[in-house]
Amino acid sequence: MGMSVAGSKTGSDSSQATEAVSDSDGADGRTRGRLREVIERRSLPALAAASVAVLVVVFYYPVSTVFVDAVFIEGRLTLRVFGDTLTDPFYFGELARLFAGDSPLAVAEAIRSGNARLGIVGFTAYQAALSTVASVLLGVPLAYLLARYEFPGRTTVRSLTILPFVLPSIMVAVGFYATFGADGTLNAALALVGLGPVDLLPSLTAIVVAHAFYNAPLVARITTAAWESVDASAVETARSLGASPLRAFRDVVWPQIAPSILMGAALTFVFTFGTFPIVLALGGFELATVEVFIYRLIRDLNYAEGAALALVELAISLALLYGYLRYEAAKAVESSGLRPQERRPLRPPSLSVRELLPRVGVAAYAVVAVVLFVAPIASMLYASVSGPTGFTLEHYRFLVERQTTGAAFQVRPGPAVRNSVLFGAAALAVALPMGVVVSVLTTRDYRGRTLVGTVAMAPLAVSGIIVGLGLLRGLVFGVEIGDWRLAVGGPLAIIAAHAVAGYPFVVRIVAPELDALDSQLTESARALGASRARALLDVELPLVWPAVVAGAAFAFALSVGEFTATAVLASGTGQYTMPIAIERFVGRRLGPATAMGVVLLIVTSVSFLLIDRLGGDYGGF
Amino acid sequence: MITVGSESVLELDGVTRRYGGMTAVEELSLSVADGEFFTLVGPSGCGKTTTLRLIAGFEEPMSGTVRFGGTDVAGVPPEDRNVGVVFQNYALFSHMTVGENVAYGLNFAEPPGGVSDEERVAELLELVDLSGTQGRDPSSLSGGQRQRVAIARALAPGPDVLLLDEPMSALDAKLRERLRVQVREIQQELDITTIYVTHDQEEALAVSDRVAVLNEGTVEQVATPRDIYHRPQSRFVAEFVGDNNVFDGEVQAVDGDTATVAVSEETLRVSLGDWRGSPVSVGDRLTFCVRPEELAVGSGANRLTAGVTSSEFLGETTRVRLDWLGQELMLRTREALGGDVTVGFDPKDARVVECRT
Repeated sequence: MGMSVAGSKTGSDSSQATEAVSDSDGADGRTRGRLREVIERRSLPALAAASVAVLVVVFYYPVSTVFVDAVFIEGRLTLRVFGDTLTDPFYFGELARLFAGDSPLAVAEAIRSGNARLGIVGFTAYQAALSTVASVLLGVPLAYLLARYEFPGRTTVRSLTILPFVLPSIMVAVGFYATFGADGTLNAALALVGLGPVDLLPSLTAIVVAHAFYNAPLVARITTAAWESVDASAVETARSLGASPLRAFRDVVWPQIAPSILMGAALTFVFTFGTFPIVLALGGFELATVEVFIYRLIRDLNYAEGAALALVELAISLALLYGYLRYEAAKAVESSGLRPQERRPLRPPSLSVRELLPRVGVAAYAVVAVVLFVAPIASMLYASVSGPTGFTLEHYRFLVERQTTGAAFQVRPGPAVRNSVLFGAAALAVALPMGVVVSVLTTRDYRGRTLVGTVAMAPLAVSGIIVGLGLLRGLVFGVEIGDWRLAVGGPLAIIAAHAVAGYPFVVRIVAPELDALDSQLTESARALGASRARALLDVELPLVWPAVVAGAAFAFALSVGEFTATAVLASGTGQYTMPIAIERFVGRRLGPATAMGVVLLIVTSVSFLLIDRLGGDYGGF
Repeated sequence: MITVGSESVLELDGVTRRYGGMTAVEELSLSVADGEFFTLVGPSGCGKTTTLRLIAGFEEPMSGTVRFGGTDVAGVPPEDRNVGVVFQNYALFSHMTVGENVAYGLNFAEPPGGVSDEERVAELLELVDLSGTQGRDPSSLSGGQRQRVAIARALAPGPDVLLLDEPMSALDAKLRERLRVQVREIQQELDITTIYVTHDQEEALAVSDRVAVLNEGTVEQVATPRDIYHRPQSRFVAEFVGDNNVFDGEVQAVDGDTATVAVSEETLRVSLGDWRGSPVSVGDRLTFCVRPEELAVGSGANRLTAGVTSSEFLGETTRVRLDWLGQELMLRTREALGGDVTVGFDPKDARVVECRT
């Protein structure tokens, strides 16, 4: 890349300028060399400053306006809205009475009597807890399979566990409708064997299962990594000291994987506590979580209450994350992992109970996993081409018709695809350099590195609703700076929201790779005369290029699938994206929604492949 | 091979182990006596670690038998073999304290000597010179200390056999030398049968009662360190253990215990006294070797004139490389050398390691 940068510099010079340089006695050349050196030397700090500026303008400032919204009512500083929220049983259930000053005994009595109200916050925590349990129950067996068995396609399955991250949640919701809905494939399958129909939608079960679809692979991923780093020597030592295989697992393996399972569970809880599109699509307003309700408040233009509720939610999420991080730091297990445990073949080497039992379990799990993870996507594809009379392209025809004859206020597929791709490309252009710069900043040793890391990664913990609301209130509606009025267009705000949501993932993918690089590589380059920035371009980035490409694909896919912030920002405008279009369809007719879902799937897959192909050329420069 | 008969606590008999198409150990037989410090040494991939794992029960042989005290242990899991294992990377349980690590094996066995678990842990930590570290976190210890904790842990339940798999490899040179002396002292104090795996031939010579040199899954030679060094039985052993000058030539004459061999354009006389292989006769191709310290400047029955190519000052001696008719020779000397020198050796200083008819 360094070479191509240098090349483009010369290339952009006019031929006259090139001649002038070659004719000069060298003094000019030296000046230019020094200039370039200065630019190179300053470029990293400059990029860092630019990243910080972007963060402040499109994240910290907007989010703080949400806070201001909640505490400044009619020009006065007040905690009234907060108080109202905390003491309203509608939100906090019986807990609200505690906040309101009721005696804890009376509250305990009400809870014991069995008709306690949960309130919206309580329900949100309840469904998050159920989703967490489901995700752990489905994720840990997958980790066991991936970490302890060898079978064809193992690495593929391992890679696929990243997929749910980038699958647009609204598309998954459509898949769930196509599977578990009244006319879904599940009921069709049940009818074949003379059972059913069952009505699963909208229901808490559907929400929990959909959350497991998203988070079980996450739990599996984290747990597999920990399981694979268990040192075989430690297990063998325990065995040689007299421990049975099961006891060695309990004493040596379990303490190493338990923190990871807990980490997966904690993250799942935080994610599902702040869930939005899944619940909106599968639960509707009857089963509203906090986020869904905030969305509703914003739609009703009740910003103060929405902001107060959003901050309560943020406080709970941050408290959970912080509590978890403290626990993790205290429990940090040093994994030497010099020699990983050997994987067992999936085909049992003998027909003993000890060999067969775990494999039967694995097989049973595989059936459940296929139904849960493959059925929604397969059902969506199937539903998009089937109607009451069998195979049909009617749903796609509907999309085309809507495109050509749709009224101005109706959602049309063309603009949705165009907006999605444009926003995705623009968000990628911001998120990728930002992510790389932050990765560099968080993998160097210097004072304040932790602070930089925290500030830069905070967007991960703040929900799209809050970012969307902040951007809407802070930038789209306009800010007055002196006599100036700064107002950002809706599309720019959407791009900003997507970039802010996407770049932490670039960091999470690139930073560990940079960190794993031998620092002597950079030191060698610098000893040979390269500036810090040149060393980054010439040595480090080429070595971590696959991670950069993966980060780019991630950032793009996240943007294309982003729903929450877009829903807030695109509300009532023509800036809708594919996920927004699907949401509008799904409430009315499933067929077109599935067809639109397939279009979204195709666009996401194609851009993934495209980014991969473009990135692949890098190695050959 | 020296067998110690009824005293042998551990035997491997024709053991073979393959991984996929690769043979790690082939028809390997060994016998280890009670209380012996027995070392398996060889280059990487020679099968020494596999042999150790077969003894520990982490692997099962595909053919052949492993016997503990005369009993075949096929199918006996590691936890029932009563062995203590120490790995190169210490493999300390990082979620347990030093004391908990050492006490771990006492969950499954009564401490020997009728003492309590706590007393046993204290006893072992004292043995490895780490008294009072029970409450420490393993990560707060240095590499050498961690390895001593691992040794204490392996010894705590009173194993019949102690298995050490390259326990020093992760430590620096000085520490390695100190720890190996300490390991040897502990082994002698407890009189425990010990199998030690290392790729470092110097370490093997320094600590062992007997050494088995392994190469490509088979045993090249089992002998005391002195015999391994001074009486190598194969070309591989001669070249792997220490520096050596290897000569190839054709036998011109055999006179009792002495053969006359034509090497390049010289005729050299070598002793056949220690040769245990097939009888040597005229016309055979003979390989023999002479240690660098046995090549003397200006003396010896066999005289070679060679040019000095390089000279390395090593402190106590200087290693001089010579070019003799296109073959490199090594010489240990105290004086500085240059130009052409005449070096020599007596027939008894040459060891025959190979004879092909």
